[in-house]
Amino acid sequence: MGGSILASVVTVTVALFVVASGQPVDGVLLRHAASGIVLGYSVTPLSAWFLMVLGLVGAPVALYSVGYFGHAVKASRMAAVGTAFNLLLGAVEGVFVADGVMSFLFAWEVMTLLTAALVATEHEFPTSRRAAYFYLVMSHVGTGCLVAGFLFLAAEAGSLSFPAMLAGDIVSGPTRDALFALFFLGFGVKAGVIPLHVWLPEAHPAAPTSVSALMSAVLVTAGIYGLFRVCAFGLGVPDVNWALAFMAVGTLSAILGVLYALTQTDLKRLLAYSTIENVGIIVLGLGASMMALANGSRELAAVAVAASLMHVLNHAIFKGLLFLGAGSVAMATGTREIERFGGLLRRMPWTGLFFLIGAMAISGLPLLNGFPSEWLTFQALLLGFTSTPGMVRLNFPLAGAMLALTSALAAACFVRAFGISFVALPRSQSAAEAKESPWAMLVPQALLATLCLSFGLFPGVVLEALGSVMGSLPGLEPREDMALSGWGMASGLGRFDHVVPSMLGVALLGSLAAAWFLTKRGARTRRVPTWGCGGELTPRTEYTATAFSKPLMMIFRAVYRPTQEVEALAEVSPYFPREVRYRAEIEPTFERYVYAPLARAVLRLANGMKVLQAGSLHAYLAYVLVLAVILLMWLGGPT
Amino acid sequence: MIQDTLLAFGAALLQAGGMLAVAPLLKTVIKKLKARLQNRKGPPLLQGYYDLLKLLRKEPVRSETASFIYVAGPRVYFAAAVAATTLVPVLVAAAPLEAAGGILLLVGTLALGRFALATAALDTGSPFGGMGASRDMTIAALAEPALMLGLFASALAAGSLSLGVMVRGLLQQGLSFHPSDLLAFAGLFIIVITETGRIPVDNPATHLELTMIHEAMVLEYAGPDLALVEWASALKELLYLTLLVDLFLPAGMATSVAPLALLVALLAWAGKIFVLAIFVTVAESTNAKLRLFRVPELVSVSLGLAFLALAIRFL
Repeated sequence: MGGSILASVVTVTVALFVVASGQPVDGVLLRHAASGIVLGYSVTPLSAWFLMVLGLVGAPVALYSVGYFGHAVKASRMAAVGTAFNLLLGAVEGVFVADGVMSFLFAWEVMTLLTAALVATEHEFPTSRRAAYFYLVMSHVGTGCLVAGFLFLAAEAGSLSFPAMLAGDIVSGPTRDALFALFFLGFGVKAGVIPLHVWLPEAHPAAPTSVSALMSAVLVTAGIYGLFRVCAFGLGVPDVNWALAFMAVGTLSAILGVLYALTQTDLKRLLAYSTIENVGIIVLGLGASMMALANGSRELAAVAVAASLMHVLNHAIFKGLLFLGAGSVAMATGTREIERFGGLLRRMPWTGLFFLIGAMAISGLPLLNGFPSEWLTFQALLLGFTSTPGMVRLNFPLAGAMLALTSALAAACFVRAFGISFVALPRSQSAAEAKESPWAMLVPQALLATLCLSFGLFPGVVLEALGSVMGSLPGLEPREDMALSGWGMASGLGRFDHVVPSMLGVALLGSLAAAWFLTKRGARTRRVPTWGCGGELTPRTEYTATAFSKPLMMIFRAVYRPTQEVEALAEVSPYFPREVRYRAEIEPTFERYVYAPLARAVLRLANGMKVLQAGSLHAYLAYVLVLAVILLMWLGGPT
Repeated sequence: MIQDTLLAFGAALLQAGGMLAVAPLLKTVIKKLKARLQNRKGPPLLQGYYDLLKLLRKEPVRSETASFIYVAGPRVYFAAAVAATTLVPVLVAAAPLEAAGGILLLVGTLALGRFALATAALDTGSPFGGMGASRDMTIAALAEPALMLGLFASALAAGSLSLGVMVRGLLQQGLSFHPSDLLAFAGLFIIVITETGRIPVDNPATHLELTMIHEAMVLEYAGPDLALVEWASALKELLYLTLLVDLFLPAGMATSVAPLALLVALLAWAGKIFVLAIFVTVAESTNAKLRLFRVPELVSVSLGLAFLALAIRFL
């Protein structure tokens, strides 16, 4: 682990260097003279940004693993998990720095396989095996799309290197649209956008927590990196319809992601769904920038790209933090069920505090780092409205309203996640006896929490760093004064809007002091038991997580399509039940109506193909002969 | 630069202090208006202040199960409401802390307070706190898109999300009327009712367990802690009404800090707030409280109105 921490630090340094200088760092790893294949690396400002995200999250997560793997992973699997974890960090790095198709696909595949292996760490549980298999299948469908797309592009460009292939003038017309769709599908699976998300809430919670944190914080950004590099900036000026597709998918992912997160009672699953939500916000920002590019508003495109890339960074940091907190809690209590936590703040004060900071950041509250990127996304959407011609522009305020709904629902979701887990009475024996994590697990959380606060208070610093990234992408024209010399952000285009969070911070501190002054007089605090409506207050009378999200579940019935049954066991009279059982579940819409029919169709097709593959050697020889003849006719025909 | 900042914070201090001083009066005025509609006399005008003073003098009583979250909740809620008032122009056509941000920061700051109070409500382990927190967050989540869309309609008309710029733009235009204003106002008024916990969404006067929302959330608070919550709620109500004034009828606001202009602005502001208070009272007196699951319908009416306002204005 020490190695991977060091490597992450080196990565951050290189990345910061590139981001600061705006000059790409190139190099050659391997040259094969006979085939002319060159495997090289190239750290462009865009990849440097993602590398920095990887390093900033990777180093704390690796440190955390030192404390965590010792407790949470079986000793016999330690070596394998540790090696795979380190290799995974390397593979993700490979994806970001690849300068050509070969090295990219190689790193991409290694990344996928290692993640699948790590998801299956606890392979004695069928759920883990299923999650890993699910992940592998969907990833490979995605990779298939990528291979097809890249090979086509490479054939047209006559080169395997990215700068030549992604110059933007290789293809045009319907071919370009088809390629866009292929890449969108391929990278979308990795990013976990709805409706390609179904593997994500299965796979992310199944892996050991450090890996979950890495997957949710950084691995999804590999997909987003692809969307940026190829879909938005690699195929020429984006089409309006592409931008609309991105905005629609982004909005859908954000809303549905947070709605599903709201009803989860498994803390890691909840965080996984909220990853879908945040990916949605990132894709929404990217969609807005593509719309701006399509309309030729270069300044606005820069604002939207900044929003999207800043959210990549901010999401990685607070989601990494939250996953690490969830891992600590799961280790201390032996469960991931929110309903079995409660009162953990007393037993684990530091974990609780860091989780609270993460929860506030992800809810988009000012002074923390979720706010600036959501703020920028709002700017992009509103500016998009003013500078887009025609009816299309009504999409922007609608997306803005949906974004507002998303962030408010996220706040509800994390009030629930933090409140039910960390305050009030312990809901189980194990929660009552939980112990605080060792320092090796707390320090990384402290680091990430500090980043949440600093990027939240001084978003201008992040924006300044983004300047060179924006400068390196074609078609963007960032305004010089966007970062307000590090203190805040301005969205330009006249005096549209600006924000300086530290100023609000001072006002808040002042008001807090006033509140303290107002209430400091008076007698000593009297401590009394909470009134339990005449009965005794026990964990069983507390409000549960399920109850907390019940109103929203009823209101969004159309989305959840809940089924519930109440069963009362009575002995004497139905009015005095001895026991009441309540069961509720929400319908897995996408699994049932999209993927199940798809899986059935694939199986039916496979069944039909059985006829061809009957096991007879003669038949196979005949196939080879027929194929050879057809190929000869086809290839030899015209000439 | 530093002088400007200090000046801004000085103005913020004055404005926040002034708003804090007036806020309890608004609550009582609405109570009194409501009593008049019911042929009652109502409380004396200073009742709000008496209540706050009494609560602040009491001994703090806290639950044994509560942690520091319980103590932090009302304080952060109070601080967020006070900080939010410095982001809104009241008498002068510029917010004291205009340099800090516009309506997005304002909405975010109020969300911060709500988050703190809802989390704290869960801390005592009482089911009421959970019930209140759950309902309050639900309704807030539903109101958020309608609020944002309503604010966007005004902001896009002004070409800025900064409240000061919006107000100054409206003042420069003079008295002008666009039909979309009416729709946007109606939409935002519904949201103001929702956010301030008035009938038909919530009933500030009830402690009946099945119907209360905000009151359930703060049921466990007593003494000075409760005083902070009550004061901040009153301040939030005044803040929302001021926001309506700013967005739709800022006429009369001072554009300089000349004493006479300020006096005129104060009278104009007080008059407009009083008229809005009558609106709120009439809405509260002529409607029955809605069931919780009917609130989404009300809020979607507001969302629809805001969207229509936007469409009429720009298409």
